[in-house]
Amino acid sequence: MALPNQQTVDYPSFKLVIVGDGGTGKTTFVKRHLTGEFEKKYEPTIGVEVHPLDFFTNCGKIRFYCWDTAGQEKFGGLRDGYYIHGQCAIIMFDVTARLTYKNVPTWHRDLCRVCENIPIVLCGNKVDVKNRQVKAKQVTFHRKKNLQYYEISAKSNYNFEKPFLYLARKLAGDPNLHFVESPALAPPEVHIDLAAQQQHEAELQAAASQPLPDDDDDAFE
Amino acid sequence: MDDVEKAILISFDESGALDAGLKSQAVNFCQQIKETPSICSLCIEKLCFCKLVQVQFWCLQTLQEVIRVRYGSMSLEEKNFIRKSVFSMVCLERIDDKVCSVLESPAFIKNKLAQVLVTLIYFEYPLIWSSVFVDFLPHLSKGTVVIDMFSRVLNALDDELICLDYPRTSEEVAIAARVKDAMRQQCVAQIVRAWYDIVSTYKNSDPEICTTVLDCMSRYIAWIDIGLIANDVFIPLLFEFILVDGLSEQLRGAAAGCVLAVVSKRMDAQSKLSLLKSLQITRVFGLISDDNDSELVSRVAALITGYAVEVLECSKRLDSQDAKSVSMELLDEVLPTVFYVMQNCEMDAAFSIVQFLSGYVATMKTLSPLQEKQMLHLGQILEVIRTQIRYDPIYRNNLDIVDKIGMEEEDRMAEFRKDLFVLLRSVGRVAPEVTQIFIRNSLTSAIASSSDRNVEEVEAALSLLYALGESMSDEAMKAGTGLLSELVTNLLSTRFPCHSNRLVALVYLETIARYMKFVQENTQYIPLVLAAFLDERGIHHPNIYVSRRATYLFMRVVKLLKSKLVPFIETILQNLQDVVARVTSMNFASKESAGSEDGAYIFEAIGLLIGMEDVPLGKQSDYLSSLLTPLCQQVEATLLNAKALSPEESPLKVANIQQIIVAINALSKGFSERLVTASRPAIGHMFKQTLDVLLQILVVFPKVEPLRTKVLSFIHRMVDTLGASVFPYLPKALEQLLAESEPKEMVDFLVLLNQLICKFSTLVQDILEEVFPAIAGRILSAIRKVADSSGPEANTEEIRELQELQKTLYTFLHVITTHDLSSVFLSPKSRGYLNSIMQLLLHTSCHHKDILTRKACVQIFIRLIKDWSASPFGEEKVPGFRSFMIETFATNCCLYSVLDKSFEFTDANTLILFGEIVLAQKVMYEKFGDDFLVHFVSKGFPSAHCPQNLAEQYCQKLKGSDMKALRSFYQLLIENLRLQQNGSHVFR
Repeated sequence: MALPNQQTVDYPSFKLVIVGDGGTGKTTFVKRHLTGEFEKKYEPTIGVEVHPLDFFTNCGKIRFYCWDTAGQEKFGGLRDGYYIHGQCAIIMFDVTARLTYKNVPTWHRDLCRVCENIPIVLCGNKVDVKNRQVKAKQVTFHRKKNLQYYEISAKSNYNFEKPFLYLARKLAGDPNLHFVESPALAPPEVHIDLAAQQQHEAELQAAASQPLPDDDDDAFE
Repeated sequence: MDDVEKAILISFDESGALDAGLKSQAVNFCQQIKETPSICSLCIEKLCFCKLVQVQFWCLQTLQEVIRVRYGSMSLEEKNFIRKSVFSMVCLERIDDKVCSVLESPAFIKNKLAQVLVTLIYFEYPLIWSSVFVDFLPHLSKGTVVIDMFSRVLNALDDELICLDYPRTSEEVAIAARVKDAMRQQCVAQIVRAWYDIVSTYKNSDPEICTTVLDCMSRYIAWIDIGLIANDVFIPLLFEFILVDGLSEQLRGAAAGCVLAVVSKRMDAQSKLSLLKSLQITRVFGLISDDNDSELVSRVAALITGYAVEVLECSKRLDSQDAKSVSMELLDEVLPTVFYVMQNCEMDAAFSIVQFLSGYVATMKTLSPLQEKQMLHLGQILEVIRTQIRYDPIYRNNLDIVDKIGMEEEDRMAEFRKDLFVLLRSVGRVAPEVTQIFIRNSLTSAIASSSDRNVEEVEAALSLLYALGESMSDEAMKAGTGLLSELVTNLLSTRFPCHSNRLVALVYLETIARYMKFVQENTQYIPLVLAAFLDERGIHHPNIYVSRRATYLFMRVVKLLKSKLVPFIETILQNLQDVVARVTSMNFASKESAGSEDGAYIFEAIGLLIGMEDVPLGKQSDYLSSLLTPLCQQVEATLLNAKALSPEESPLKVANIQQIIVAINALSKGFSERLVTASRPAIGHMFKQTLDVLLQILVVFPKVEPLRTKVLSFIHRMVDTLGASVFPYLPKALEQLLAESEPKEMVDFLVLLNQLICKFSTLVQDILEEVFPAIAGRILSAIRKVADSSGPEANTEEIRELQELQKTLYTFLHVITTHDLSSVFLSPKSRGYLNSIMQLLLHTSCHHKDILTRKACVQIFIRLIKDWSASPFGEEKVPGFRSFMIETFATNCCLYSVLDKSFEFTDANTLILFGEIVLAQKVMYEKFGDDFLVHFVSKGFPSAHCPQNLAEQYCQKLKGSDMKALRSFYQLLIENLRLQQNGSHVFR
């Protein structure tokens, strides 16, 4: 099987295809991994970037060649030709844009036409944004098709490693595989916002559990 | 290798080793090739001769794209050629005497080929190429390669065109319908026949191809004639596959998938029921085991649950006794296995346990008495609920320390439990006794469970008990019907082994609080309740979340039981000493406590206890002073040293004082006005002293907003508690509060005045007269800004605050007039503002966008007319008022403002306002007599072009005594005038 080898490595490497509507944050997501960002190969003519992302597992180092197909809509390019020899995939949608979730089945179908039976992770990105349009419990597609689902926030690095860990476990056939070292990530851009969000949520929760101080005797009825 | 192939290989290169310039050249070259007119034949030629997958893929991709985009402009010849060639490829036929090798390529090439054929079907079936399917079938005999390709084509047809999981345009939907109709008429029966033959032929030699065919078939069952599958040929074959042990799991699972598709087929309920009965589903029950990894088990499980859903649906839809009993029989058959599946197997995502079980329980509401079998099922449903609401022990630590994972899990569970508890309540209603016994047994077994899961077991059992309590009526709870009294006794007297766990501790306390109505009637349990709240299970729990919640719940318990708690006051206070001391001790650092409201519930609870009249005076004043004295001393000490405070100390001290005020405030809630003013003035005196101290805060820290707010709410409290005896303190308090005149502060201040006026009416006249001029001066100049601003730029925080202030001002003026205090406006110092106030009220009553505010203003005027005009002929009490009302208010508000189209009679609030406006006219006529009427009719009406006859009728109605008639007539009049105006004269 032909594997990309920008710099041939002597440890296992896998072709990972990232698909999803434009603007869902595919590029931002892969760029969080700094080493990959440093070594990436950009091919503007055909509109694909290949980022080699290394992860350190208890079974040794592995590499994902992430095929970020951003811009293909504009460039024409190879379209589903990029998926050939894909060994695993991430389908990305944007939780703040309902249409991007509606199109997930189509991405999944096009992907499976070329890559039968590969492990796939569905990622709902931008969960740091306050007004979500797609709530976590509305996301059901992954259950029908037996995919893994993660909520992520590329800008804040939230759950960055989760999709890769899942895929690594599936590819290695080892459910206990784990990362022993974190990859160098770009500093979160919305760190404060997310922190504030979490605090906000915590406060909301506390507030919700905190009944009104007075005249709420009915609560016992 | 020719140039095209090279270019394709280069553009598909994944190694990244190639020069970017070269690659770009190759991509451009391929793009150019795509544009040439002979591209289709080029692609087909390459597909026949080239074995490079990249080249094959590119050719198929290009072919598909060209057909999709250019089909309309292709020549007939070209279309024929493409159709013939593609069909030859999928059927392993020769093209120009050569066998094309595409079917030897990897799956993704074959899928792409299928997509190309489906694109042709999209355009050509059935009108142009009606024989595509019929022609395909004879080739299936060539073997599994073609069968596999045939299945890929049918799958692609489903994915690309028919299946509803993908977003489709209306055109695509129409074409899908056309394709389905044609297939049903033409070839579905033959296809099904082919499927049957294939699986019969290959079942032993090639289970894989059989699996492929059955998986494909299950996609089609939803829309083909069900009789083709549900017959005594196909169904036995499918069950044979499912049941024969030697076959591959995939094949057996695929067969189960087909039966599920049959079961789920949408059809008339009576035929469905016969179909379901004919399946003899019990045959597959034996396959269910708790082997979660087995694909077969999960697919059979999906079949069984899907079957149960359909049976239940039939029983709901069919009314005949016969059908009911058949469906009940089938349900009874399948339910035990469904319960087993729910508890032991990975569930199919499409199946909703709660929905199904609720549906089942609902069928029992009409049955009574329930039979033994049904009772048994209900017990199992309860068991399912218990299993489902139980946390997974792997989250135990996360849940206990409330980290992100724990929070997510708790939220998820809370959401998840909602529906299950609704189900629990339905079961509880259908079979109360079964439910109570179940919960009792759950508690018992939870306590006995091993430590690796006792936390979760206990939490689940207690949550069930809590949920049961939520659905119970007061009477039932007080009476302790059924096992209830045993349950509550168990709850109170059992020491759970895992009380240190946050969730267990919380749900334990919540549950006790939930059953307080029972304890109220069974006071022997009070010591147990108190112990639970006061020891380390409650307020002294090491976990802050638990102790905090315990504090609140304890206050609720005290509120409910207080009269029964008198004998325990001493004990309670002793047990709370340390908690109280955290606030009362001089040296506490406010860092320790997370929120200033933290201790408030404890003080409120104590206040409720010691504020009762059953407590002897001596005791009461001892208790109270032991709390108030140290608290006040702390405040006094801080106030004395306020000037010396460093900038670092200051926020700490402020927070400190804040907490103290909150505590005192909460404490005072337990003391009634009657007690502190009438029966025990000594207690009242203590609160007055406290008020004195706290008012000093305003003097020393005039600019500290949170302190000001807290003191203000204490004043509110004292107005309520001390009654009129608070008066001596008011001048000083009001003076301090008035020192600040920011809009927000002014609003708070007006709210306090409103409280005073509402409580004491004319008793506060002097106080009000004193402060009114200052208030009027400030507010009138402040809100001028609101009037000047409109449009989007008005949407600033400042303007919003001013609008709030304006609104509060109208309430204030309304409260003043409705409490016989309108003379305040006339006092010498206030007189200067009278004109501005009148103009403001007039403008607001005509134009304010909030209808209720307008109504309030009209009511103010009505009141003023009554107050300020003694009799039609008497001397004017307020010079100019009468003419203002007659000449300005009457025409502007009573006529022009209602003539405006924005005044909508269909709006309920507007109708109320209209009623007030009509009342105002009536009152003006009563008070001002013909002066009003003549002016209104002779000056006002003509300007609105009112016909003479209507004007005359108006006079009659106004003089009459029927208010209702006047009102409806006036509405009629206005609507008439509006019609006549028809926009010619806009009153604005």
